[in-house]
Amino acid sequence: MLEKPRLSDIHQGDSLPSVIKHITQQDINRYAEASGDFNPIHVDETFAAKTPLGGTIAHGMLVLAYLSEMMTQAFGSCWLEEGKLAVRFKSAARPQDTITTSGQIDSIEDKDGIPQVNCSLECCNQKGEIIINGRATVKLH
Amino acid sequence: MEDKDTNHSSVSLKQVPVGYEFPPSRYELDGLVVSKYVEAVGEQHDFLTMGIVPPLAIAACAMTATSQSFVVPPGSIHASQEFEFLKLVPIGTTISCSGKVANKLERGRLNLITLEIKALDQDQEKVLTGKATIAVPS
Repeated sequence: MLEKPRLSDIHQGDSLPSVIKHITQQDINRYAEASGDFNPIHVDETFAAKTPLGGTIAHGMLVLAYLSEMMTQAFGSCWLEEGKLAVRFKSAARPQDTITTSGQIDSIEDKDGIPQVNCSLECCNQKGEIIINGRATVKLH
Repeated sequence: MEDKDTNHSSVSLKQVPVGYEFPPSRYELDGLVVSKYVEAVGEQHDFLTMGIVPPLAIAACAMTATSQSFVVPPGSIHASQEFEFLKLVPIGTTISCSGKVANKLERGRLNLITLEIKALDQDQEKVLTGKATIAVPS
């Protein structure tokens, strides 16, 4: 089982451990198979080339999984049991992009006797363009 | 992820009114499903050994279940997403995912449609709730 972090080890301003992933069309196809989302903008290169996007893009939920992996790394089972996430998809991730997640602890507050950690999150591509940004909350039981 | 219910209706997302409820879909989150998901996202944590379903895998089911219930017009964009994970879900759990149209807003040439989604386990306990906003061209 994953470790739960100790409150004494968590501080406002701490950075979360980055996750770095290189996305290929094969990854996108594999995600389509796993999720059942075969929207042609993700998996049909001929179709996608004719759209304003000019080519296939990764599922937003695939890139979001990288942020969840970062949160699991930082907060263990606390994230899996009672995590909360609110994000905006700012631009599309494409095949051959390298995605880097980052995050920071913005505040730690007491909610009915339970410490709650509030984080800001971001995913960027290799050009520094923001793919996803948002916030996450974890209760530390 | 295989939907165990096959009687989906497909309606146009632009035409569905606020309050419209999409039909529920059931998914059996067995080891094979989790294994495929974990491999697809390149997840470094060993969820199979832990016997737990990654929460984003449940979220993916809920999103797929909802999106299979309507026709997404070309040019639509997944604009934002919220999720709340409410409990650990053991591998082998069957979940039921459903959704409804929570809000519709016109913003220039876009319709912003907010969907509320939820997933229940076989004991009818909520395991995940969420909101997705999709920007659909007018």
